[in-house]
Amino acid sequence: MISDGMAEVLRLLQRDEGFDAAADVAVLAAVTLGVTGLTVSLATGGDRAELMWCTDEAAGSFEDLQFTLGEGPGPEAVRGDAMVLVPDLALVRPERWPALSVEAAGLAARAVFCFPMGIGAIRVGVLTLVRRTAGPLTDGQVGDAQVLAHALAGRALGSVVPGPNGAAPADSADALLHAVVHQATGMVSVQLDVSLPQALLRLRAHAYSSGRPLTDVSRDVVARRLRLDLNGNGDGNPLPVSDKD
Amino acid sequence: MAREQQLTKVFVEVADSLIDDFDLIDFLQRLSERCVELLDVAACGVLLADEHDVLQVLAASDEDTRLLELFALQYDQGPCVECYRSGRPRTNIDLADPNASQAWPQFTPAALQSGFLSTNAIPMRLRGRVIGALGLFQTRDSTLSDADTALAQALADVATIAILQQRTLAHSETERGQLQYALTSRIVLEQVKGILAERWQVTPDEAFAAFRAYARSHHHQLSHLARLIADGEFDTDQIPRSPRHR
Repeated sequence: MISDGMAEVLRLLQRDEGFDAAADVAVLAAVTLGVTGLTVSLATGGDRAELMWCTDEAAGSFEDLQFTLGEGPGPEAVRGDAMVLVPDLALVRPERWPALSVEAAGLAARAVFCFPMGIGAIRVGVLTLVRRTAGPLTDGQVGDAQVLAHALAGRALGSVVPGPNGAAPADSADALLHAVVHQATGMVSVQLDVSLPQALLRLRAHAYSSGRPLTDVSRDVVARRLRLDLNGNGDGNPLPVSDKD
Repeated sequence: MAREQQLTKVFVEVADSLIDDFDLIDFLQRLSERCVELLDVAACGVLLADEHDVLQVLAASDEDTRLLELFALQYDQGPCVECYRSGRPRTNIDLADPNASQAWPQFTPAALQSGFLSTNAIPMRLRGRVIGALGLFQTRDSTLSDADTALAQALADVATIAILQQRTLAHSETERGQLQYALTSRIVLEQVKGILAERWQVTPDEAFAAFRAYARSHHHQLSHLARLIADGEFDTDQIPRSPRHR
């Protein structure tokens, strides 16, 4: 169960009131998670990452550093498809991240927690929590952070953030939990010769423009009743769709 | 084969897997198949809760999409959800009982339509926390005895241990991290089913059968190979498209 604080963060995230509001949401998320600051980096292909959220300089510096060096809990979380929790950087053996251990000494980051954002083979980015003091996250905070990372991944992939208690609009991040959607994503990626994230965007665009749930559209794709063309339209369903990419 | 012999076989398999580098999804699928044999049920699935407390299918005795969807229907209703929430097993549930269709209006008719007469749910526990459930379906009018239920619980515990054992990284991996990795592996597998189904113009089920046969015969870990395919780092022309089923 997510906390009330995180439910509020997700609610604000859903309202989406532009960049300034997003900064406030990020700060609220950090407070809810009991950390000093946080960053959200989006993978933009290759090793470069784009900062989507950055609450403060300390968190930003740490994120910059680990991506410049190519080592640290963030890159490790992204490569390993699992969270990496470091309650006390001072206790990490130097050989784990040799360059980072030298450079990070001057930064105001003592505890770092990284949560990969993605859907299966689709890697979207990483959520990094930074705290000035050592100590673990509580079990509830870890759960909250995971839900936030999933919501941010869905958002980066053009979806709507699920409401609290699983209540969600018809076309929501919840739909991204269904096996048939993952299968359809794989099929569309081959049909259109695009990447998996692009395939998912096309599926979503089609679901949106035809006013049907993503799961239904996905079932039709898997059963080969529907084939998307390069514009994200289905056969015999020539609805105009403005693709974002 | 006598049950004792079957059990011995399972223990050897489990021991072999857990001391070595093993593939979790493949292991859980084999375990599900053993559950079917040992407990004399028609189908078995291993469901793990994700970060939203939604049960996700990690593996099933039969990778048939229809069966997977039946397990998936239990994301918000069904005996597995109740078992997950209460932490207690629910056994010998008669699906024809009006109470069942009243309690689970979507799940019950779907299960009946698939030919199942009764169902059971066994909790997967980890240090006082429930992390998922084992779902069992029967097509015949038979019940699980207390001994069967105890055995089912033991097999559910083995599944839990396997999930925590899957990746012994040198670093301080958390249990939650292990659960997350398991769920991600399953999603990659579904994406790859789609990729292969479209490349070969077959159904996702057929694609998976060919994929798994190839992985097993070449000693590839399913999850690792799936990841390579999804990342475009493996030439799938190497995989024979129609595996021998026997």
